[in-house]
Amino acid sequence: MPKRTDLHKIMIIGSGPIVIGQACEFDYSGTQGCKALRSEGYEVVLVNSNPATIMTDPEMGDRTYIEPLTPEVVARIIEKERPDALLPTLGGQNGLNVSVALARSGVLDRFGVELIGAKLPAIEKAENRDLFRQAMQRIGQEVPRSGVAHNIEEAKAVIAEVGFPAIIRPSFTLGGTAPASPTTWTSSCPWSMGPGHGPFSEVLIEESVLGWKEFELEVMRDLADNVVIICGIENFDPMGVHTGDSITVAPIQTLTDKEYQMMRDAAIDIIREIGVETGGSNIQFAVHPQTGRMVVIEMNPRVSRSSALASKATGFPIAKIAAKLAVGYTLDEIPNDITKKTPASFEPTIDYVVVKIPRWAFEKFPGSDPTLGTQMKSVGEAMAIGRSFPEALQKGLRSLEARRYGLGADGRDKFAYEDLVSGRARASEDFHHMLERIAVPTPDRPFHLRYLLLGGVSVDELARRTRIDPWFLEQFRAVVEMERELRAGPGLAQDDDALRELLWRAKQYGFSDYQLAHIWGSDETTVRARRKALGVLPVFKTVDTCGAEFEAETPYHYSTYERPFLALRDGRFVPQQASEVRPCDKKKVVILGGGPNRIGQGIEFDFCCCHASFSLSAEGFETVMVNSNPETVSTDYDTSDRLYFEPLTFEDVMNIIEVEHPVGVIVQFGGQTPLKLSGPLESAGVSLWGTPGDSIDLAEDRGRFGALLDQLGIAQPPNGAALSLEGAREIAARIGFPVLVRPSYVLGGERMEIVYNLEALDRYMRGALDLDPTRPVLVDKFLSSAIEIDVDALSDGREVFVGGIMEHIEAAGIHSGDSACVLPPRTLSARTIENIRDYTRRLARALSVRGLMNVQYAMTRHPDSGEEKIWVLEVNPRASRTVPFVSKAIGVPMAKAAALIMSGKTLAELGIRGDPWPSHVSVKEAVLPFIKFQGVDAILGPEMRSTGEVMGIDTDFGLAYAKSQIAAGSTLPLSPRAAGRPRTVFVSVNDDDKPCLLRFCVPLVELGFRLFATAGTHRVLSEHGVPCEMVFKVNEGRPNIVDRMKNREVDWVINTPMSGRSHKDEMAIRRAAVELGIPYMTTVAAALAGVDALTSLAGDQAMSVCALQDYHR
Amino acid sequence: MAGCDLASVVTDPHSYVWQTQPLNLPAITKADDAHRLYLDYEEQYGRIDQAIYAGDYGGAGEPLVVAYGFGIKRNILRLLRAQGMRVRVVPAQTSAADVLAMNPAGVFLSNGPGDPEPVDYAIRNIRELMGRRPIFAICLGHQLLALAAGARTYKLKFGHRGANQPVKDLTTGRVWITSQNHGFCVDRDSLAGSGLEVTQINLNDQTVEALADEKRRILTVQYHPEASPGPHDTAELFRRFRERL
Repeated sequence: MPKRTDLHKIMIIGSGPIVIGQACEFDYSGTQGCKALRSEGYEVVLVNSNPATIMTDPEMGDRTYIEPLTPEVVARIIEKERPDALLPTLGGQNGLNVSVALARSGVLDRFGVELIGAKLPAIEKAENRDLFRQAMQRIGQEVPRSGVAHNIEEAKAVIAEVGFPAIIRPSFTLGGTAPASPTTWTSSCPWSMGPGHGPFSEVLIEESVLGWKEFELEVMRDLADNVVIICGIENFDPMGVHTGDSITVAPIQTLTDKEYQMMRDAAIDIIREIGVETGGSNIQFAVHPQTGRMVVIEMNPRVSRSSALASKATGFPIAKIAAKLAVGYTLDEIPNDITKKTPASFEPTIDYVVVKIPRWAFEKFPGSDPTLGTQMKSVGEAMAIGRSFPEALQKGLRSLEARRYGLGADGRDKFAYEDLVSGRARASEDFHHMLERIAVPTPDRPFHLRYLLLGGVSVDELARRTRIDPWFLEQFRAVVEMERELRAGPGLAQDDDALRELLWRAKQYGFSDYQLAHIWGSDETTVRARRKALGVLPVFKTVDTCGAEFEAETPYHYSTYERPFLALRDGRFVPQQASEVRPCDKKKVVILGGGPNRIGQGIEFDFCCCHASFSLSAEGFETVMVNSNPETVSTDYDTSDRLYFEPLTFEDVMNIIEVEHPVGVIVQFGGQTPLKLSGPLESAGVSLWGTPGDSIDLAEDRGRFGALLDQLGIAQPPNGAALSLEGAREIAARIGFPVLVRPSYVLGGERMEIVYNLEALDRYMRGALDLDPTRPVLVDKFLSSAIEIDVDALSDGREVFVGGIMEHIEAAGIHSGDSACVLPPRTLSARTIENIRDYTRRLARALSVRGLMNVQYAMTRHPDSGEEKIWVLEVNPRASRTVPFVSKAIGVPMAKAAALIMSGKTLAELGIRGDPWPSHVSVKEAVLPFIKFQGVDAILGPEMRSTGEVMGIDTDFGLAYAKSQIAAGSTLPLSPRAAGRPRTVFVSVNDDDKPCLLRFCVPLVELGFRLFATAGTHRVLSEHGVPCEMVFKVNEGRPNIVDRMKNREVDWVINTPMSGRSHKDEMAIRRAAVELGIPYMTTVAAALAGVDALTSLAGDQAMSVCALQDYHR
Repeated sequence: MAGCDLASVVTDPHSYVWQTQPLNLPAITKADDAHRLYLDYEEQYGRIDQAIYAGDYGGAGEPLVVAYGFGIKRNILRLLRAQGMRVRVVPAQTSAADVLAMNPAGVFLSNGPGDPEPVDYAIRNIRELMGRRPIFAICLGHQLLALAAGARTYKLKFGHRGANQPVKDLTTGRVWITSQNHGFCVDRDSLAGSGLEVTQINLNDQTVEALADEKRRILTVQYHPEASPGPHDTAELFRRFRERL
């Protein structure tokens, strides 16, 4: 069928901020969707609250709304834009939920908007547990058996059907507060129920599929009812670990054709029965490892994280095709982009192995439990491609940016190799404990498997304990055996032929030069040089959807080691490797991406990399992207002219550079990951584009930077660097407490703390010196109650464009990534702003910045004179996290411009000048993952913990801030007058903040709010005649504040922590707020901003919606 | 490969009856439980498929199909049986007269290796059978029937191999994913006057995937609807053949 001509304008809803479980894969899918629809001539209206996305670039859509993703706000956009259709399947669960709410509430009908891709009944059938179960029964597919019981007799009857082991859980929970964690009931009945015996009157008993094999199929269907399977994915970790937290492998490795075809048939039946008309769906299956019984676990009627992985693993652009199917095309009418000549109606086949490994960030959340389970906890993922599972696995592990270079053997192992193989380790308590705990999945499990295998534990025993398929464990054993062989021989000392042979084999098992160097007591450079001299070189193959059946038009490559074959050349046989990299006459630029998402390094950097690629490609360069993150837009095959899906290590990057011979390599856009490589790459003679490496060192080296600032006459907080306890004490004595302490050379404020006294300083120093006695600890004077300012600037070495000056809303001490900020600044004097611009220009010139630069300033006001003083906290001559936000706020694509500057353009040539000062107000707010980490205090500090961000834009600060809060999922309570019912705010602040109490409490009372306060706060408020009710702290009696929160008596929590550390009772309050979804603020500044927002909302000026294209007209 | 008659090398020189013992397994008694048909009974439940060289047909009352064995795949036999047909497999060289003497309800032309053109004896016999009995053919059988109808075959530059070949049914617009393994192919331009209609094509290279002649009750496919290995999208064809008998 040809495309529909009755539709003209189509709305796509994005997925909002990056949170755990919903990352930048939906930027990739939304971006593909926008491009596909626009190329078909449709007008696209895009809505997303996340500014760090490519999809929200004003040139991606016709009308781009950076607005909160709530049904109310999207309804207003629909009313304004009047789209003909809404495509709900590209924006993750968030986008789908908003679309469903709009459909249910009748908004879509009222404005004549058609849901395309998936209709409401199909979405409901897939998402509603009961409807899904019934649907599966209708088509004869099994789901885990289950039943409901009200007493022990009924329970026994259910168990007779369901069998052991079973999972029992309360079938509903009261107010969401009763524990819903399932209990596994294995044999005899340890459980009794009935009146007086337990809190639950009804329980759900479900067959346990824990430990079963887990699979996913990515399915696509078109309006003609053609169905194809794009990719099968197997989970290395059996059922029980969220698939987002599992190591996954494509293609499926351990099913026979017969088993696979049964699963394929089931998937086709399921998508038809559920009625997903067009587009992609993801269906999960569990298979019993012994009997082969297959049950359906769930279905996502939309593009998912697995779809992104499947797209990158096969080269088949699922989101793009889904968008085209939604407007009426059938699969056979859409050409396969990779081959150009064959249609999309086929099933990709792959002649390599893909391994995805999640990246966790437990180190950021002290006290959290690193056990993996059914709730996803990872913050990102890396994907690797190899010709065998071991090769892909080891490449994946070294892509994680977790300081590992493969499956151990890299100098970071917990058990020494000799101890493991000699049996000494096996006798130890630690080893025994590890074996006992190996069934419990944790991020370290792959490494533990290696220790156990080296320590002599058999594959059979490991399979029995972990329920991991023996095939995978055999692959691990093969890697471990290869390691033994590498260690057994004379290493680099052996003769050329023997070493060459050994290197070929080691490389085919995925060992990195770094590992080989560790094993052989050498260094990476030596191993690399020797390996190259012996001709053991990688060859680049293509991800082409078809296993080389047809010629691939898109250069999307991965490396592997393949021995040369003998080819006839001029009458002689010469060894030759079949590289699939095509020569090209254009000048090439390599852009190094950011690797897996983690806290402190997220989608913002991918945004910058993509922009660099777009602009350089338009300038006529051949752009070469290198990245290992399958969720991203940068790893889409049509973002850059060439794509290498490779780990971002020196070895892997150099391999590409040696093949591509670029005129320049850009390390500035991908965050810390590529920046770390700049030294080694420069030493290897690679030409890095942009700011010289020496400037980066100048900005990071304490001594040199201090001297530079002195020379420029710019102040920085008094500071020092300490290599000992005494040293730190001396510095503290000189500059005075509080001080900010942190290890040198870190990003994302890792292990950064504010220390208020000697005792805490000693504790920190002991910990830091323990970890690494060679790295100095930086000790800075902490400027209490300073206002922090972030500046993003562009420089061509002479001219400087100060693009964005962002004023933080939270006071100094909160990591800039976690702090809300506003652009343009709202409380700084004109003089201060002029000074900031002046300092920024001088810094950029002094550091010879070519491209982007980020400066963090702090501004203090003299308590008496009110005089404003500016301090430089940090200068980073590279792309920062805020570049996308600034670009969208001021309407200048800064990353694109930066890339062109690196290629030799000047700001004047690019037409970028002036000091932007937008008339609208933009607020950036961070989104935090506390809900996922039980037992962790929900408090902001100098260490960054947010996973994503949102942007609110409006005509005044209050409205923009309100939008940012709504978008971040912390909807402030409408004032009682607007809501038409009483609202209560709980206030409890520390002594430092008490003087500010009235500034926000008085307006709150004026707006009609009721106040609850704890004793100290209550006293201050009462003294000033502010009406409020005293409530108990957690340990003062019942009902205490947490009880009142549980009873929904509190609509907003303002709780500032005691200086320096968190107290148990305060933590209980903040945890309760997180778990109950009550908006909470932990700083006075945020409370004040919140009050501004409420005041604006209560005023005449209603929250309106406006497209980016209108702001920057 | 071109010019070699490989069918005569791999054909079983003896005629036999294919029998699948009826199994009383609850899981496979449901007729609509299509994918269960593909379970490998032999692996799971012991030897239950067998070629019976002498003796009874079994399956009394079910129509008889005579299958030319040019190198026939077992799963074809299983699926013919599963649709309720008695199956006698005959050597590649069996004459049309001998086949007709068995009074079959239908004739099946099997898959097999190599170039169809040198298998001239089969082409002659098929020509005699066309129109006299319903015919279903797969792969080499499909090519032989096309030659018998006066069409030509040629060697493809790139043979079709694999379980992901997209085939479009021109009568319904539907696309099926099929298993294929062939290096020769029916020339689409040579079909004029053959009485055969191209009903399906390969979407990768537009080559002929299925031919039909409603009048003579002929249905032939280039791909392998019996799968094993591969997708089950076109398993339906066995039922359609049964319905024509």
